[in-house]
Formats: sequence, structure tokens, C-alpha cells
Amino acid sequence: MNLDYAPQCVPAPEPDPTKPRVHYLNHAYGWLSWLFTVDHKRIGILYLVTVTIFFAAGATAAALVRLNLLTPTSELLPLDAYNKAFTAHGTVMLFLFLIPVVPGVLGNFFVPMMIGAKDMAFPKINLLSWYIFMLGAAFFLWTLLSGGIDTGWTLYPPYSSQYSHTNVLYAGLGIFVAGFSSILTGLNIIVTVHKMRAPGMTWNRLPLFIWAMYATSLIQMLATPVLAVTVLLLAVERVFGIGIFDPTLEGDPILFQHMFWFYSHPAVYVMIIPGMGVVSEIITCFSRKNIFGYAAIAWSSVGIAVVGFLVWGHHMFLSGQGYYMGMLFSFITMLVAVPSAIKVFNWTATLYKGSITFEAPMLFSLGFIALFTIGGVTGLYLGVMGTDIHLHDTYFVVAHFHFTMVGGMMLGWQAGLHFWWPKMTGKMYSDFWSRLSALTICFGFFVTFIPQFIAGYNGMPRRSPSYAPEYQILNVISTAGAFIQGIGYLMPVFYLTGSLIYGRPAGNNPWRATGLEWQTTSPPPQFNFDETPIVTCGPYEYSLTSDDVYKHIPVPSTNGVHTGKEGVHA
Amino acid sequence: MSAAAHHGSDYHYAHHFDSLGQQQSTVRFGMWLFLVTEVLFFGGIMSAYTVYRTMYPDDFEAGSAALNPLAAILNSFLLLTSSLTITLGVRAAFDGDIAGLRKWLMATILLGTAFLGLKANEYYTDVKEGLVPTKAEDVIEVAKSVTVNGHDTIVYDKVRSSVFARKLEHVLKENEHEQLFEKCNPYRVQLFFLFYYCMTGLHVLHMVIGLGLLVWQYILAGNGFFNFKERYVYVEAMSLYWHFVDMVWMFLLPLLYLAGPHSFDHLSL
Repeated sequence: MNLDYAPQCVPAPEPDPTKPRVHYLNHAYGWLSWLFTVDHKRIGILYLVTVTIFFAAGATAAALVRLNLLTPTSELLPLDAYNKAFTAHGTVMLFLFLIPVVPGVLGNFFVPMMIGAKDMAFPKINLLSWYIFMLGAAFFLWTLLSGGIDTGWTLYPPYSSQYSHTNVLYAGLGIFVAGFSSILTGLNIIVTVHKMRAPGMTWNRLPLFIWAMYATSLIQMLATPVLAVTVLLLAVERVFGIGIFDPTLEGDPILFQHMFWFYSHPAVYVMIIPGMGVVSEIITCFSRKNIFGYAAIAWSSVGIAVVGFLVWGHHMFLSGQGYYMGMLFSFITMLVAVPSAIKVFNWTATLYKGSITFEAPMLFSLGFIALFTIGGVTGLYLGVMGTDIHLHDTYFVVAHFHFTMVGGMMLGWQAGLHFWWPKMTGKMYSDFWSRLSALTICFGFFVTFIPQFIAGYNGMPRRSPSYAPEYQILNVISTAGAFIQGIGYLMPVFYLTGSLIYGRPAGNNPWRATGLEWQTTSPPPQFNFDETPIVTCGPYEYSLTSDDVYKHIPVPSTNGVHTGKEGVHA
Repeated sequence: MSAAAHHGSDYHYAHHFDSLGQQQSTVRFGMWLFLVTEVLFFGGIMSAYTVYRTMYPDDFEAGSAALNPLAAILNSFLLLTSSLTITLGVRAAFDGDIAGLRKWLMATILLGTAFLGLKANEYYTDVKEGLVPTKAEDVIEVAKSVTVNGHDTIVYDKVRSSVFARKLEHVLKENEHEQLFEKCNPYRVQLFFLFYYCMTGLHVLHMVIGLGLLVWQYILAGNGFFNFKERYVYVEAMSLYWHFVDMVWMFLLPLLYLAGPHSFDHLSL
């Protein structure tokens, strides 16, 4: 079998479609087989179902906010209900969707498969982290049902101090608990990457998605505990009534902001680096070219993770943290833009003279590059102190971080989901509808957030339910765009679900991709590979043929001892 | 761990590993990484503590002077000794000496429990002395001499007074540090006590979890779980956690108990 690309290991033969096959989805049935599973693939599916529900909840809150902003005078919601709606949107989307989505679903499912392992290093802890996540989500649900919170997702005192009579405690508990899920997932992924790699899977042969997940996990592990402590202190302050952060009780609100952003700025990279990893896989596959600058992309992920810990103060230029501190943070913020730019450069260079095809994953990925670049460059406006004074707390900021988080992570997530869906389910979805969905989401996204840049640049403040009438036209366009996006997000619910029933069998490797996860059957067997894969080349050898690689490989004998012979496999 | 079934004398590692060595180094590495997150966890609260101690040095000194350093130093000896016993336990497990393992695990459990007992007693005393942050105020009468119609006379003014402040004053007087009370703002001393309870409370929580693990391993040792010498790695991972909890205490001791008149600056050498 000669292929026009070189997979990382010898591909498994296509199974006989007429014979029933046991795989991870049908080796056991029933609710309990899912709720007590320690299979990383099934846990990934558990995450997929739950985060999709949370996304729907967060999107509903967003719809309320956008509807309310149709008029300058806030006709729809009472003022405090508006505060609660945008807080619900922020907290649910960040803590229950964006942070867990790619590590939880794609990370769980594909990190072991891409490195050729049978499972995560700690399968039970993996399941535990899903349960902890659900417990945290239950606290959030309780917060919403008992009236919501009105602090914004940042929980700044004095909004979150006793001055606020909403359920900050429950929300804090939710963040605290969900954080431990994030820590455990990160820990599991790092140990897995270190210890569980298949023979031949050296660090320089790791797929870039793995590098991205590794960097993400570092951040999750190192930053999240600090948020836990911060929320704990917030709770202690509310219980005892002695000021830690509340200025009316002689507490220091700036300290809260420091501690909060020490977590939350790195956390925004948790919301983008996984998307970058996904896109690195897809761009090279659908360009049929080796990735340009493998090492640069891999190390820039780690670079972002490290430098991302040193820039939190750029959220606080106007908080009174001090002028020289602001200058320092502004300077380091310029530095953190460099690794992101390196990535964009390398993706573009990979596209150059590639044999590009425009399937849905590729459309989402191209959308990612465009939107993330706009989001990243507008971030520089905010990272420079002078312009930030003008743009701080305006819709410019809102548009900026939606371009990175939604334009970035949401599209990265959709790209990854569409890329790996055939592997996860063994079924292929509708080509037409998936491409339409990608285009609709990208179009809707531009319509939603470009007007917000303009409104924000002209001074429209964020988080305000009412605004000056001259901004109404921009807000109406933005709301219309939000609903176009909503339609785009609804489409996959139908065609992906439909593909489970009506989809044609995807085959082992519908995209002719090189990664290990594509060299096994779809859906994968219970332990991922029928035989432990032996990795023979780098992750993206699209310009070599399989013969080029395999004719030099020693043939292993059945007892695992090399025979010393060279030959062509299979 | 439980996926490792044992038949006869063969020791089988869990299904997703390729070798025993891989499983053991995975367990060890996982615990080290977990401790890294713990460093950040305690590091966060210690940073917050440090910020406030720098802002309010006198108040933190007064708060520290109200604590009982003797109990803390005794506790330090208990914990450090338990670090030794757990290490001897790891050695025993490595050698397959189950009786020795059980002995050292029990010694560690006893030392840890003694620590918690002393700590509980300390908390009890703190609460009894009223060193608990509270907004409670009551009305007391303060004597004041005034001149009425040319005669000096004593009247009693009713003033609101912080319950905590009077308790703190009392404790500091008993500890012969009343000069510290003059310098401090009792309201902010409560901030010190918030940190004291949070930091020691988190430490105690970690101790309780550690003791639970120790008891579990003690039972496992009795059930023959560690008859497979290869499983010593679980004792080793546990001991890493236990040492870490000790290390946290080694930071809490100077931060909380030795901040005031017990600090190096105040020693008359």
C-alpha cells in the first residue's frame, strides 16, 4: 500500500464493513457504562455533551443582552436583570465552556490517541475531574436559579463584596470547584505526554496539538490554584465582614485585581492556545504540505504560556497600580504578541503554494486565522497605555476579546470538532451544511463585532444597559449579526446529530491525515489501537510518500525484538 | 491502581501501561506535578499575607504576639519527626518489610494526630480568648472626670466598643506585650487573624487528607496490598505529599508565629 503522504505509523487496514465490529461506543451499553467509564474517549464524549449544553445556556444569556441593547434605553430587562444576564453570559461561557471545551473534549479524546497511548496516565482522576466539573456547574446552576449574580465575570470588589446582595458565594464556590477539574485535567495531560508516548514518539515528533495542550495544561496547573485562593479569600471576607478586598472595610480592591488577573490573564491563553493547536493540525492537512516552522509553532505555544504569566497588569492600567508598573506590563504585553504572530506567520507560510481544499474544518481554520489576527492586533491597542486610557471599558474591549475568544477559540473548537468528528463517531457529516455553517458563523461574527469596535472607539461604555442614541444603528447591526451567528451555531446541532444516523461511514482516515489517531479504525477500538503503534516519522510528512518512509524501517518481530531486517510493512 | 490484578506472585500493572517502570514513574511524576499546583495554592495566600503584612506591619506584629509560639514550635518538632518516620516507612515498603511499614505508618499517623490535637487545643484557646474576627460591638461605660458647677466629678460615658479589641488587649497584656496594643489598630489585627485561620486551616485540611491516606495505606498494608514490593511507589508518592505538608508548616511557622516580638529583630543577643 503506497500512500501519497507518510503516516506516523503503519495504518490499520480498513475493517470489513459487512462484519460487526466492537469499538469504544458499543463494547458496553447503558447509562452506567458511561457514568462509570474510565475510558478517555467516553469521558471526552461526556464533556462534549455537557459543554454543549452550557454553551446553549451562555448563548441564551448573550441573546438576552443583545436583544436588550436594540434600544438605547434598555426596554427589555430591568437594570439589575441586565447585569445578571451579562454576568451569566460571561461566567458560563468562560468557566463552563471556553476553558473546558477543547482540553475536556478534544484533549481527553485525542491526546492519548495522538501519542499512541491506550489511555490517559490517570484514567480515574480523569473521570473524577469530569464529576468535579459537574459539581462546579451545579453550583453555577444554583447561582442562576436563585437569582444570579451581577458582578461581571471578573467578580471585582466592591461589586462582589457585601455591597452586592447576590449569590457571589455560590458562584465563587462554582469557580473554586470547577477550577480543580481544570487543574486535574491539566495535570493528567502533562503526565500523559511525558510518560505515555508510543515507541518512536519523540518530543520533536509530537503533533502540534499536543504541544498546544501541553502549554495549556501548564497554565491550568499553575494559574488555577491562585484563583482558588482568591475566591476563598473573597468568601472569607463576606462571611466575617473583615476587609480583605472591600475598600469600605479597609480592604484593598487592587490586590484582588492582581490576584484575579494573575489567574485570569493566563486563563485567556487557556482559551486560545488549544484553538491554535487544532488549527495547526488542520492547516497543514488541508494544504497537503508539511507544516512550516514546526519548532517555532511548538515553542511559541510554550512561550505564550510562560510570558502570559507576566502580563496580567495590562488589565489594570487605570486601576491605580502605578505608572511605572503599567509601563513594565505594557512592554511585556508587546512581547507576548510575538509568539502569537510567529504562529500566524507559520500558518500562512504553510498555506503558501499548498494544495488547499475548503472542507468545513479548513473553512473554520481560515476563519480562525483571520479573526484571531484581528483580535490579536486590536489587543495591542489595549496593551499600549496611551490608547488604553481612551479605549478602556468600552465596547472596543468587548469586540477585541470576542475576536480572540469567539473568533479564536470558538472557531478553533468548531474546526477541531468537524475535523475529528469522523474519527469520534465513524460517520461523515453533510459537506454542504457544514461549509454553510462555517461561512454563516464567520459572516455573522463580523456583523456582530465590527460595529462594536466602531462603537467602542467612539466611546460607548461596556456593561451599560443604556447608551447614547447615536450608537443605536451600530447596536442593531450587532444584534442582527448575533442572530446570524446563532443560526450558524444551531446548524451543527442538526447535521452532526443527523450524521450519527444518516451519515455515510467515514472510513479510517477521510482526510488522508498523518497523525496516529487517523491510523486506527473509526470509531477507535476500546484501547485505541489494536497494536501499539511504532512511530517512524514526524507528524506532518505530507510531502513524502509512505514508501519513502517505510522502506528504511526495521521490521519488528512479534515478540517486540527487532529482527535487524529492513523491509516494507503491510 | 485497582486495575492491577494479581494472580499468584505475578504483579500486573494497569492495563494502559506498557511496563511496571512506566507505571511507577507515572505515579511519582503525577504527585510531583500535583505538589507544584499546591505550591501555587499556598503561594497565592502567602503573597496576599505578605502584601498586608508590608502594609500594616504593626498590626501583624500585634496579632502574632497574641499567638502561642510554644505550641507552634512543639508542633514543628512533631511534624519534622513524622517526616522522618514516613521516610523510614518508604524504605520498609521498598524492602518488602510489611511489619516495618505498618510500624512506621502508625508512628506517622500518631505524630500527625498529635499535631492536630495540639492545633485543636490552640484553636480552642484562641476562641476562648476571643481572638476571632468579629464585627460585634457592645456598649461599655468609660469613666471620665468632668467639672460640674466648679466641682470635679466622675461621670460614665456609654461608648460602643469592639469586642475583639478588648479581648486582644487582654491577651497582649497577659503575654506582656501591651506596648504592641498601643501601636496597633485592632480592626486590622483581625485581618491578621483571618489570614491565620485561613492559612492554618488550609494546612490542617491538608493534614487531615494526608492522615486519611496514611490510614488507608496502613489498612492496605494489613491486607497484603504492599506484599508486592513494586507497590512501594504508592507509599513514596504519599510521603512526597506528607513532606510537602510539612514544608508548608515550615513556612507558616515564621510567617504567623514569629512575626512579632518573637522575630529575629527582637532577639536581644
